[in-house]
Amino acid sequence: MVSIMLNVNGEEYDITVAPYYTLCDVLRDRLGFTEVKKGCGSGECGACTVLVDGKAVNSCLTLAVRANGRQITTVKGLSKDGKLHPLQKKFIEHGAIQCGYCTPGMILAAKALLDSHPHPSEQEVRMAISGNLCRCTGYQQIVEAIMAAAAET
Amino acid sequence: MSNAKTFFRPSKYLRPSDLAEAVKLLAEYGEKARLIAGGTDVLVEKDSKVEVLIDVMGLGLDYIETDDHGVRIGAATTFAEIEASPALGKSPYNILAQAAHQIGTPQIRNLATIGGNICSAVPSADSAPPLLTLDATVSISGSAGERSMEVSDFFLDARKNALERDELLTEIQLPVFPARTEAVFVKKGRVAAADLATVNVAVRLTMSADGICQDVRIALGAVAPTPVRAKVAESMLQGKKPQDELLEKVAEQASKEIKPISDVRGSAEYRQILSHVLVERALKEAVARLSG
Repeated sequence: MVSIMLNVNGEEYDITVAPYYTLCDVLRDRLGFTEVKKGCGSGECGACTVLVDGKAVNSCLTLAVRANGRQITTVKGLSKDGKLHPLQKKFIEHGAIQCGYCTPGMILAAKALLDSHPHPSEQEVRMAISGNLCRCTGYQQIVEAIMAAAAET
Repeated sequence: MSNAKTFFRPSKYLRPSDLAEAVKLLAEYGEKARLIAGGTDVLVEKDSKVEVLIDVMGLGLDYIETDDHGVRIGAATTFAEIEASPALGKSPYNILAQAAHQIGTPQIRNLATIGGNICSAVPSADSAPPLLTLDATVSISGSAGERSMEVSDFFLDARKNALERDELLTEIQLPVFPARTEAVFVKKGRVAAADLATVNVAVRLTMSADGICQDVRIALGAVAPTPVRAKVAESMLQGKKPQDELLEKVAEQASKEIKPISDVRGSAEYRQILSHVLVERALKEAVARLSG
C-alpha cells in the first residue's frame, strides 16, 4: 500500500491505496465523491471526467498513486458557497440535463475548454465534449448551454 | 472495489527519477514489470500478469525541442502537448499535430504519450504513419547502453516492438526538410472521435521549384500487421509532376501494397477501397497546399 495525499476541490485527504486503485474508484468509494460517475471504466464515455491540475482526464484511466499531490476538481468544486457556476446554471436553464449521468463529466470538460478558450466557436465546443457521451439529449442543449455560459463569463 | 472481472493487481508502483534507475528497475524485475506512461493502454488492457509498474513520467522525457538538426520529441510527451506545440506548427511537422488531434478524446490526449503509442505497436497507431513519412528515428536506452533506429524498424509485428526486456524508448527525432514540403494525415474510423482507425494514411511531398515531386512518402496504418510504406506507389510519383490522373494511379497502387484483415472496424475489402480513396485524398490535399 502507498500513502498519498489528494487535494480534492481545495481540501486535502491523506489515504493509503493499493498501486492498482484508479482515481475514479478512490474518489467515489473511498472518499465519497459520488458525483464522479463510472460509466465504461475504459476511457470511452467520459462520465468519469475530472480536472487534474486543470486538465480534463478520465479518472478511470488514472491511477490514484499518479494523482498524489495534484489538484483534483470534481463538478462540486465549481460551485462556491452554494452559488452555482455559470456552466451549472446554464445546463439547468437550457434543458441540458435529463438523466444527469453524463452531466458531471460533461460540465468539467466544458470547464476545461472555457478556461483556455473563453469564447469558443460551436465547433470548438463540440470538439471539447467529443470525449463525453450522452444517451439522452442528443447534445444540442448541451452545446447551447456551454455557449451561453461562455457568453456570461 | 475495482471491476472484479479483470484482475489487474500490481503489488508495486515505482517512479524512478532518472533514466539509469529506470533501466536498472526494468532489468531487475524483468517479465514482472510493465512501463506505464499515460496509462491509457495499460489501464484498459488490465493485464493480470503485471506485478510491478514502472512510471516513466518522472524521467524528464516530456519535451519538444528544435535545433539545427530538426525536432526532438521526448517519448513521454502527451498528444495534447503535441497538438498545441508551436514547434510542430509549420509544415511538414504539422502532420503530427494533425494526427494527435484525432487520437482518442480530449481527455485521452491529456494523458496518452507518443512513446506509449509507438511502443504499443498496434497496427492502427495514429502517430506511426506520420512518423514514417517524416523519416523519424527513435532513441532507446537499456542496460547495454543507448541505440537508435529508424522508426520503420521499430515495428516488428502487431503489438511487437523492437525493445529488449530492459529497454525503454526515450526520444523521437525528426529531420529538417526543404521548403515546399507538405505532409497530410487522414484517418477514418466508424465515428469521428474516440475510435481506432479503420484506415489511416499519411503522405509527405517535397516539390522542386518547377513542380516536380522530389521526395514522396506514402504510409498507411490499420491495413497490415505493422504500419507500412507503399514504396512502389512512392516510386511512381517520384520525379514526376503530380497530375490528378497520376495521383489516382498512385493511390490505386498504394492500396495494393497492404494486407488488411476483416475485423469489427471494417472488412478487408472495405479497407482496400478506403485506402485507395484516402491516399488519393491525402495526395491531392498535399498538392493543393503546395500550389496555394
